Amino acid sequence: MNEESILLFIKIVFAVLVVYWVSIAVSLIYRKIRRARLKKIETTFADIVSRYLYNDPKDPLTFDEIKKRLVKVGIRQRNKNNIQFLIRLMIRTQRTILGRNFSKLQKLYTEIPPYGVSIKKISSWSWYKKARGIREIYEMNQSQYFDEIFKYRDDKNIYVRREAQIALVVFLGWESLRFLPYLKQNMTLWQQIKIVEKLYDHYPKPELKWLHKAYETEKLFGKKLLMRIIRKYELHAEIGYIIDNLNHEDYEVRETAIYCLQTFAVASSTMEYIKQLYDDIPNTTQQGQLLNYIYENSDIDLDFYLKQLYGDNEELKLSIAEILWNNGYKEKVQEFYYQQYPKATLNVG
Amino acid sequence: MKKVLVIQEDIIILKILERLVSLNNFECKAIRSLDELSIEDQETNFDFIITDILFEGIAPLEFVAQVQEVLLHKNLLIVTNMGQDKIKQEIFALRGITGFYAVPIDLDEIEAIIQAY
Amino acid sequence: MWDSGEGFFGSYYIYWISVLLFIGYGASLITLYLAGIILARRSIKRTKQRSIFLRTEDVVSATDIPSVTIIAPAYNEGLTIIENVKSLLSIQYPYYELILVNDGSKDDSLKKLIKEFDLERQDATFITQPIPTASVKYIYRSRQTKYTHLTVIDKNNGGKADAINAGVNFANTELVIFTDVDCIIEQDAILKMVRPYLEEDDKEIIGCGGGIGIANNSIIKDGILSELRLPSRLIPMHQVVEYIRAFLLGRMAWSEINGLMLISGAFGMYPRKRVIEVGGFNPKTVGEDLELCIRLRMHMEEKKIPYKVVYLPETLCWTEAPSDYNILIRQRDRWARGLWETISLHKKLFLNPKYGKMGLLYYPYWLIFEFGAPVVEFLGIICMIAFGIFGWIDWPFAILLFFAAYLVGCVFSTIAIFMYVKSFDHYTKPKQVVELLLAAYLEPFLYHPFLLFGQIKGYYKKLFDITSGWGNMTRKGFKVVKK
Repeated sequence: MNEESILLFIKIVFAVLVVYWVSIAVSLIYRKIRRARLKKIETTFADIVSRYLYNDPKDPLTFDEIKKRLVKVGIRQRNKNNIQFLIRLMIRTQRTILGRNFSKLQKLYTEIPPYGVSIKKISSWSWYKKARGIREIYEMNQSQYFDEIFKYRDDKNIYVRREAQIALVVFLGWESLRFLPYLKQNMTLWQQIKIVEKLYDHYPKPELKWLHKAYETEKLFGKKLLMRIIRKYELHAEIGYIIDNLNHEDYEVRETAIYCLQTFAVASSTMEYIKQLYDDIPNTTQQGQLLNYIYENSDIDLDFYLKQLYGDNEELKLSIAEILWNNGYKEKVQEFYYQQYPKATLNVG
Repeated sequence: MKKVLVIQEDIIILKILERLVSLNNFECKAIRSLDELSIEDQETNFDFIITDILFEGIAPLEFVAQVQEVLLHKNLLIVTNMGQDKIKQEIFALRGITGFYAVPIDLDEIEAIIQAY
Repeated sequence: MWDSGEGFFGSYYIYWISVLLFIGYGASLITLYLAGIILARRSIKRTKQRSIFLRTEDVVSATDIPSVTIIAPAYNEGLTIIENVKSLLSIQYPYYELILVNDGSKDDSLKKLIKEFDLERQDATFITQPIPTASVKYIYRSRQTKYTHLTVIDKNNGGKADAINAGVNFANTELVIFTDVDCIIEQDAILKMVRPYLEEDDKEIIGCGGGIGIANNSIIKDGILSELRLPSRLIPMHQVVEYIRAFLLGRMAWSEINGLMLISGAFGMYPRKRVIEVGGFNPKTVGEDLELCIRLRMHMEEKKIPYKVVYLPETLCWTEAPSDYNILIRQRDRWARGLWETISLHKKLFLNPKYGKMGLLYYPYWLIFEFGAPVVEFLGIICMIAFGIFGWIDWPFAILLFFAAYLVGCVFSTIAIFMYVKSFDHYTKPKQVVELLLAAYLEPFLYHPFLLFGQIKGYYKKLFDITSGWGNMTRKGFKVVKK
């Protein structure tokens, strides 16, 4: 290491610095122009959609006019970023509307650019493009490409398979339960949420035969998915499936079961069964959650609560004492408390 | 002429609702936040206010309470992306809400309410 | 001089060994930073790509998403408490609760809260305390429906960590966020923070942090940041650059290799279940955020459960930075003591294969480069003075070397600023960016020496067992625009 080599190093580092200065300047200018352009596209699109959905007979909006306006704000085949932004707006709009206007929007989307952009993305090697393509296809309801998407339902990339699974639900509806609970790869919470929501939005009428067949799954994510479906559709007759999973050995399956159960009120005989399962739950926090459910959804069962109060589970005794205290059994709590701490005074009330 | 105030941050929903209302022969004021209200607007008694609950700097429940307190109106319709049952119950607990619509919405339902008025 | 000292204690060897050690240390740091830039770029790009498939507007309308409680401890914050609570209440998330823990404030905080939010006192006898804390006096809840998400816990003073633990005990949501009551949280922060939990696959997310920004001199309206300005004073200005560099490069790079050992106490999200399992924050250390994160990781390693700690590149929380040298030094003194305490508390991690990469790589990194850097730098200065006095230093060469090192530092800061400007719309004016760059280039002369002083002061206190607490962080407060 000598002075020359240090000087050379300094020159190189300085050149790098200059490159970054230029990059910052370019980035600032680009982002400023881009923000203005996106705002223009968004405003134009909002105006087009509103006028199209509620067309004024005195001043009708034609497809030609729509296309011209879009071209004017930069929606051209070569401006890929603008096209992508337009697709995003189209999806956003379609996701906010149901009924007659939903169909009208679909018609509009077939008439205006971009044409066939999404299907091209599916053949891309990049997971990102592929998943995006699938998403666009199901969001825009382009069912003609279903076969292309179906093969990606168990893809090794989580985003690709997630989007393909959602597409399955959008295009197949309840029948998709033939595949979904049996997939090889795990399903994240978001996947389950999206699947349930899409099913509910597109197929609000339950088809129980598919649900019943899916009960056979041993996959943990499959069980959780089915319980979420039962909860979302408020299928009272199917509540037994949730209850059966209350004492499942897996923490998350139990967690989902307790969460889903909270949507339902149950008959007193079922509640008795739930109380029996209560002791089988190996986690105190989950027992506490179930205890809240039992308390909020049934009459005070003194024997049950006293059994817990004098039982081994120290962590929940305070909650049980509170329930008894607030429901006319103060003396039972005092009795228990004095027995525990004979010399103490209870500072409550 | 009957008057409607639409408050939505999302410009697309805002424009669609504005158009829906105007074509049903209502006078429509469409704004993206309460800051855009003029003094004159604040003195108007609106036949309908159609609003979201998600706005910057104010909690959803407090926003609805503020609208109820500050703006004269006969009917208050909520159209929001945050439309979970829990939120719906909390909003209705504030009382005085005419309707609550979670996105995705069927615009025909809103049109029917306005037309029936 | 050189000749006269050459034989003395083998000074020639001392000189060269020292020089080689310092250069080796510096070169290792530069290499690590370079690797950090590559990893951070990858991490930011991936986070951005993933967000396309899980947009905040999808989360806001979803059911079955985890419930979240923000826990904000407050001690003598009466001046700004109402604005702060309103700001925190306005955060957008469907299943959200706010717990404000009044940690035995001696001012009128509680009185103000009771009046403004129409709070009603409730009995606290039956609160379960999985984590032991100073006693809770009462719980307060609003009589008004519009404040249904707010709970105030009034407890005896026990310090910040103890107050947060009380909040964790009381919360009943799956996830908890810890923040400071005077932080300005972005409205969609929770919607973004839950994403990793929703996408959790084979590894459990045990912690998620978001970028923290400096908002001195910015305009706050309705509890949100309505106009982000650069600080008018130089010290907070340097900290803007420091935070950008630390969060965008440092944390994102560590996040990419699941090596994060720290989620800032100002804004971090954790699963409540796991926080309770490890017994919450440790009230005995002043570096409780670092300590909790390490303890959580150790807990997962010991239980052999695959886990992840993640960071989001977006700035989700804005805070006020120290604006004068005294406060800055006090803050860094505290951070240094916190680091010392945590490093010594978990020394069993060092090169311990039982804890996997955390024991073999991440802990040693923290020990050598985070804990060790101020020591090496301090020793470097002493050596330079001593070698200078002995006349052993070839000054023209040393100055060139210093300039090269300085330029490298400038490049790192410039890259961080470039990545920030390219990714986010916070600083969009050319004037702001030029000011940021200038602050970055002046940092080694006008800012860094004071940091070093603060850190060494902290170590000195630990070394000689000088008792010192949190130290007061006097805040000037944001510019608040009333409606």
